[in-house]
Amino acid sequence: MTKNILAVAFLAMAFTSCSSDDDSTPTDPVQTETVSNLYAPQTGGQGEPVGGEFTKFDFETGAITTSDTAWDIAFRGTTIAVNGGTLTGTEDEPERNGNVGVAEVTGTLASVTTAEGLTFEQDAEASFAIATGSDNGWYNYAGDPTHLITPIPGKVFVFRTTEGNFAKVEFISYYEDAPSEPNAFEDATPYYTFNFVYNPNEGDTSLE
Amino acid sequence: MQFRLATLLLLIGTHIIVAQSQEPSVTDSILSQELDEVIVTATRTARQLSSLPLPVTLVGKKQIIKSGTVRLNEILNEQTGIITVTDESGFQGVQIQGIASDYILILIDGVPLVGRSAGNFDLSRLTVGNIKQIEVVKGPSSSLYGSEALGGVINIITEKPEKQDFSGNASYRIGSFSQQDMNLDLKQGFKKFRYGFFANRFSSNGYDLNEDAEGQTVNPYTNYTLNGRLYYDINDKLSLFTSGRFYDQVQDAGFTVDSIQYEGDTKEREWNAHARLDHKWTPALNMAYELYYTNYVATELLADPISTDVLSDSDFDQKLLRPEVRGSYTFNVEDENRTGFQYGTLTAGAGLQLDELDRTYFEEKVNFTSQYLYAQYDFDPLEKLNVIAGARFDNHSEYNNQFSPKLALRYQLNPNLAIKGSVGYGFKAPDFRQLYFDFTNSAVGYTVLGYNVALDKLQELEEQDQILDVVVTEDELSQPLEAESSIGYNLGLTLKHGVGNTEINFFRNDFKNLIDTRIIARKTNGQNVFSYMNFDEIYTTGFEINSAYKLTDNLNISAGYQLLYAFDKQRREDVKNDQVFVRDANTGQSVALATSDYFGLVNRSRHNANLKFYYDIPSANTHANLRVLYRSKYAQYDTNGNGLIDNYDTSFIDGFVTLNAAVSKIFYTDFTLQVGANNLLDYTDNNIPTMPGIQAFIKLNYQF
Repeated sequence: MTKNILAVAFLAMAFTSCSSDDDSTPTDPVQTETVSNLYAPQTGGQGEPVGGEFTKFDFETGAITTSDTAWDIAFRGTTIAVNGGTLTGTEDEPERNGNVGVAEVTGTLASVTTAEGLTFEQDAEASFAIATGSDNGWYNYAGDPTHLITPIPGKVFVFRTTEGNFAKVEFISYYEDAPSEPNAFEDATPYYTFNFVYNPNEGDTSLE
Repeated sequence: MQFRLATLLLLIGTHIIVAQSQEPSVTDSILSQELDEVIVTATRTARQLSSLPLPVTLVGKKQIIKSGTVRLNEILNEQTGIITVTDESGFQGVQIQGIASDYILILIDGVPLVGRSAGNFDLSRLTVGNIKQIEVVKGPSSSLYGSEALGGVINIITEKPEKQDFSGNASYRIGSFSQQDMNLDLKQGFKKFRYGFFANRFSSNGYDLNEDAEGQTVNPYTNYTLNGRLYYDINDKLSLFTSGRFYDQVQDAGFTVDSIQYEGDTKEREWNAHARLDHKWTPALNMAYELYYTNYVATELLADPISTDVLSDSDFDQKLLRPEVRGSYTFNVEDENRTGFQYGTLTAGAGLQLDELDRTYFEEKVNFTSQYLYAQYDFDPLEKLNVIAGARFDNHSEYNNQFSPKLALRYQLNPNLAIKGSVGYGFKAPDFRQLYFDFTNSAVGYTVLGYNVALDKLQELEEQDQILDVVVTEDELSQPLEAESSIGYNLGLTLKHGVGNTEINFFRNDFKNLIDTRIIARKTNGQNVFSYMNFDEIYTTGFEINSAYKLTDNLNISAGYQLLYAFDKQRREDVKNDQVFVRDANTGQSVALATSDYFGLVNRSRHNANLKFYYDIPSANTHANLRVLYRSKYAQYDTNGNGLIDNYDTSFIDGFVTLNAAVSKIFYTDFTLQVGANNLLDYTDNNIPTMPGIQAFIKLNYQF
């Protein structure tokens, strides 16, 4: 019954007072990189059994990969798998043959400076390390009337990679071209956009 | 807003100056804060409004008639600090001091009405046709009324037949959207016996706020209200009052999904039966024996007329039976002197409440029983000081016993100025839905379970291999759900100044144990299982100011303003600690939310104001009025995933003004013709489905 119009003008006005501070010093070997439009379709859903290949990603190369071993995380729909732990039991999922773990930290990407002292979770039977469902893992599903899937702001994921390096990730968008005001009825999914910082020095927990 | 506030302050300033230079004169009964009116809701005894130590809004019959409004929500929405809100469920309710409809008790002649949709009581269910006055007591009133009276109590007082003659009125009103309102009110008195009969038919063709979407925003509906009342004076000491009320509404509910035109309707039906025996034992002791029964039924059936596939079939059947005995005793009634502890009035009561609900998404019919006792002492320890102290005890079958105390004081500083303050406890019992709901959304696949059935249902789901993992412990689900509760503080001043009066009231309400849904388990389909938990702590605070002013013999002006802050305490703390984030529009990266950007709770406007003009032209038997209402911006829901309303959310509805006006003329002594329009500025928003554009109307009333 209720139909919505977004207060676009208001948002535009509100954001002019914001600033970001993701400047890193030039001597810093650790760089922020952005992955745009990582496509990770799934079949089924909406009550039907879900399936389809996961789209795998390797932090070291900063790119997607089809390798069965040299991958860190993998995407399908809103689900994210890590290359560590055991099979969860979902259809078409990749073998876990690494020791990847993930820890959730509250903060901005810049404010998370180390992987020291974090507890890393891995995939397990019937349970993903990054929990599925709205408000459990990385996203919030707004339901009626917008039906938007939004990465939960202030959630940073720190990964221990297959090679034993550390990386931190902030998800930016689930919609193609990461529009600042996505429309769930018009913008295509699932196109992941995320920022990450990868420390190339093996075992070094520093993330700044 | 700036302008309005300035006008208001100017008005108040003018009052004070005028107060010093003019003799007090009579105020006009049209203005809501009429000083010599008597109200019963605040103390359960008849008390002069001006003498009460509590914040009260009184809306009299004259104001209702002159405004030309026909449903209760319309007239209440014109009062300061009383706002009708359509919440995320799509249902409309009333908000008082920033407190949602769930926590406001609705009474008719002192007995509660039932039948809420997602916690909202739809006030448009009630016609104003036979109302004598509406009494609104703000702040917790559980010390007299028990559950639900946290934010306040709205008591609708129907008209009593006073005269011996046969009298009454008949009216017909037609307006925009084919809105028709018909009233017949009959009253007659004999030596010992009086009766009143009232009938109302109200219908509308509905309206559409969004041409692009299929179907109408509000579908056509018709409703009927019938009310019969009998009064019988058995002897000097005993009198009997009985009332039967019936309400029935049918609304077309057809709509189109995937090019299938579903047809059907939504039906509501309500019965109220109320009997009370008033017993005057002595001049000092009055008792009342009361029996009340009500039944509210709502059903919806939608089906494809060709394939007969049923899209939706739901029903809701709630019953309430409540016997109560109460009495009031005035100590030393024969004594002239009324100052001192020993000269007060003791009011006490005891009752039993039986609730029953049978509805879709409940496994079986559920019952609650509760017993209660209350007492209140109203006295003047000093000549200028009035004290009301009271408490109520509720013993309930489903949750912990509740003890609800309240203390209120009023001190007359000088003949024109009084100060009043009160503090009280309010509670709301967990409702049937929060305890017994068993609902799975068929399209998306999530499940919502009532607290009392959560453990069992969770086990059932586990046996069906639908559960991935349970995120709460069994222990957490075994503790009984607590009643939601609040402590409310009110502190105000009442000022009489020459030809007007001003009331100011500061309020603060601290809520704890608010019940909200939270995830208790994850399902194998990726969705969640929700149940209800006590966890939120919120507060609402602000002030309200009302000023009424008789500018000339024929012109009355009133102005009202409410300032409101409503926040979740935990969320506010989180924001302060930089634990809440928003996304930068340009980079998409998270940044911590500034404290100043936390807007507060949903559906709360910071400012709410009204300005009303009432003008009489006695020579032409004509009356005209104009009411201007303002509501500042408010947000409907979180849009950026951080779980609270901040200035970056996009669901804000901008502040808006509504303008209502009516002109009436009396002719041939018994006839009144009224012409008017609500929402003259034609303000509409797709997100306010309960507000159509301009509603012009013409009404003819015959008084006999």
